[in-house]
This record gives sequence, C-alpha cells and structure tokens, in this order.
Amino acid sequence: MNLQSFILGASFLFVGFTLEHLPMPELLLWFQPLWILLVITILVLNAPGLFGLWLAIPAGLMMDAEMGTLLGTHVFTFAVHIFLVQLLSRRFGVYNLVQQAALVWLLALGHQVLRHWSNQLIVEWPHPVQLWMPPLASALVWPWLYSIGQLLMRRILA
Amino acid sequence: MLSGVVTGWTFVVRSRLIITPFQVSQFQGQRTLAICLLAVAAMWVDNHYSVLQPVRYIAGYALYPAQQVALLPSTVATWMDESASSRRELLDENRQLSARNLVLELKAQRLAALESENSELRELLSASEQVNDRVLVTSLIAVDPDPYSQQVLINKGGEDGVFIGQPVLDAHGLLGQVVEVLPHSSRVMMIADSNHVVPVQVNRNGVRAIAAGTGELDRLELIYVPNTADIQVGDLLVSSGLGGRYPRGYPVAVVESVDHEAGQMFATVSARPSASLDRSRTLMLLFNQGAGQVPPPELWQDN
Repeated sequence: MNLQSFILGASFLFVGFTLEHLPMPELLLWFQPLWILLVITILVLNAPGLFGLWLAIPAGLMMDAEMGTLLGTHVFTFAVHIFLVQLLSRRFGVYNLVQQAALVWLLALGHQVLRHWSNQLIVEWPHPVQLWMPPLASALVWPWLYSIGQLLMRRILA
Repeated sequence: MLSGVVTGWTFVVRSRLIITPFQVSQFQGQRTLAICLLAVAAMWVDNHYSVLQPVRYIAGYALYPAQQVALLPSTVATWMDESASSRRELLDENRQLSARNLVLELKAQRLAALESENSELRELLSASEQVNDRVLVTSLIAVDPDPYSQQVLINKGGEDGVFIGQPVLDAHGLLGQVVEVLPHSSRVMMIADSNHVVPVQVNRNGVRAIAAGTGELDRLELIYVPNTADIQVGDLLVSSGLGGRYPRGYPVAVVESVDHEAGQMFATVSARPSASLDRSRTLMLLFNQGAGQVPPPELWQDN
C-alpha cells in the first residue's frame, strides 16, 4: 500500500516535471501553470501520511536544477507551501472545486512572491518575474488536475 | 485569509477533537522553519561558492528522463521527417552539399596559404602562435521562458566535457557562454543578455571596446566609447580575448549606428550580433587552451 502510493507519487512528479519542461509556444509562455506546485498539493492532500515536508527537499532541488535558480530557492518556497497545505487540508476537504481553485490561486501567488523575495534577498539585482499569470493558470487547471489525481489515487490505492 | 490561517492553526493545536485524515504535528512549524533556514543557507552558499555544484548535478540526473520524455514529440517529428524524405530530395540535398563542400574546400586552400603567411609574419613579430581550437557540435533544445533573460539550453553537458564559462559559437559568430552545467544539458547565456558583456575590438583598426547585451536579441551596445574613437557604421567587431574568457578573433557584431551627442562624454554605439541568436539550432562549444578562464579574484574584486 505504502510502496504503491510512493510509486504513484513519484510518477505524478515525473509527469509534472515533463510538463514543466515542455516547450511552449511564445504566446502561451506567460500562461504556464506551476505544475510541480499543483502535484505537490495533490500528493500532500491525498496521502498526507507519506508525503510531508520532506518532499520539499528533492522536489525543490530538482526544480532548482530545472529552472536554473539558486539551489534552495524552491526548497524554501515548497516547504512553506506544504506547511500551509497541511494546515488548510481540512478546508480543502470541505470546499467545492471553485473555492479550492481560489485557495490554490492564493497559495500559488504566495509561492511566487516568496520566490521573488528570497532571490532578491540574496542576489541583489532586480529580476522581474511573472507574478500574476502562473498562479491564475494554476487555479484554472486545478479542478481538472485535482479530480484526475484523486480519481487515480482512489482507484489504484483502494 | 491570513487571519483564517492563523485561527485555523490555533484551533488545530488547542482542541484535539477534529477528525482529519492527517493530524498536523505539533512541531511542524519548527520543522518548516528549520528547512527554510537550511534552504536560505544553501542559496547563500550556492551564490558565493561552487561547493553545491555536485548537488545540482545529481538533481540533473534525476531530471534527465522527464526532460527526454518532454522532448519526445520533437524527436519523433525529426525522425519521421528524416525517414519520409524521398530519394530525390536526398539526392538534391547531396548535390547541393557537394557543391558547397567544393566551395569551402577552395576557401580552405586559400586559408592554408594565409595561415602559413600569417605564421611567418608572427615569427617576424616573434609573437606566440595561435593554436587551432577544438570544437564540439551541439544543438539547442530549449529557450528560457523568462523574457528578461536571454538564455538557451543545449544538449551537451558535463558528461561531454562541457564546463562553466565555456565559449559557444554558431556558424556566424560568438553566441555566448555556458553558465550552468548538468550531466546531459547545459545552460548558455547569450551575448544579448543584459547581464553579459564581451570585450571586443574593431577588426579594421584594433580599437578596443566593451559590448554589453541589452536584453534585445538583435542589439548590443558598446559602452564607454569616447566621442573621438574611430568607430564607423559597418565595422566588424571581433572578440579581443582580453577578459580571458573568450578566445581572440571571433566575430561578435557589426556596428549599426554611431551617435555623437553634444555634451555627452561617450558616444552611443549600437551593433547587431553576427551570430543569429534567435535562429541558430546547431551550435559549437569551443575547447580553447585558456578559454573560459578568468583571472584570479584578487585582480578584479574590490576587497
């Protein structure tokens, strides 16, 4: 059971990183959802016993290698995100999909701001980021992704 | 929302009768804080030292399968394209390439004569001889989505001997340098990135200048050019090799406009990069003796 959910989670992350690396047309670049953040949220909500804070370290380091950011940037933001998701897990349970999407939008926005700040703290040169669009795209994808994720986890692990 | 978070948290901590699938541990906040502090420390170390490079390398190994899968459609498309091209097309291409090869060989013959003449002149000047550069051909696999940084990904990495600071060229001139190495891919900062400068000189008369990226792919700017400097529209700028990072004599840009403004100390000179930064797919990594080296930090750092 535990091994199964671990393998399932790993394959979710694999798909997430594939989507993250997918070349996008110029027009849609600003509209790329934060796939890994969404996958982490789904894993922490659905298998809280297995996927906890520790997930921030491998996923964050891989994300740093993928994006070319300073090592640790995404470990930091993911750790905060996972902590918040664990605190809000009951709300996620009672919210409907639209309310959930709004919550995801807020969390993703927080993640973007944290990433921006933490990098500015260290590197000291202003580097504009796409602050608004990725959280919005993430919120729009959330209902579908969440339903698929939950369906798969229930079907396979039940 | 924030107050909601806080009250939710105190609620969870104080009353123990909530039925949740997962009880947030009492020390979860402290644990998060510890991880965050560690992460910030790692960021600081990564910014100042290269100790964490192996970690990035290992993360790159873990990423490799996912990146390959993401590029699968383009790989399949290339393969289909190649296997579907007809015999006639291949013959045509072959004929064209043969003709081109002939022209290039002719040029190479003249080059041999020029090289020998050049080495004779160098001997007369008792200057050191330039060695032939070894190159590694690579192709571009992705472009950085961040519109404010002009960086690309190439499909050669540490396993192929790529190193940080290595010069990258395309068929027409200097393209940039390697800034990050993963096992099977690396990140290249192009000369048009606004964080990038190249020491150049005018090919016609040897006037030295510094070409800074502007963030636009088709424009470099020469900074600190005195109003009296002999630089004209159409001048070819080649790398001067002065910084030690790029080898000497590769074309960098062609001067497009020179503006002298009264009352300004420096002339405004803009140039168009010789390399086709937005089109080239096949690039060359240069293994030059001494290329990619920077002088010791004592020479260029303040303290």
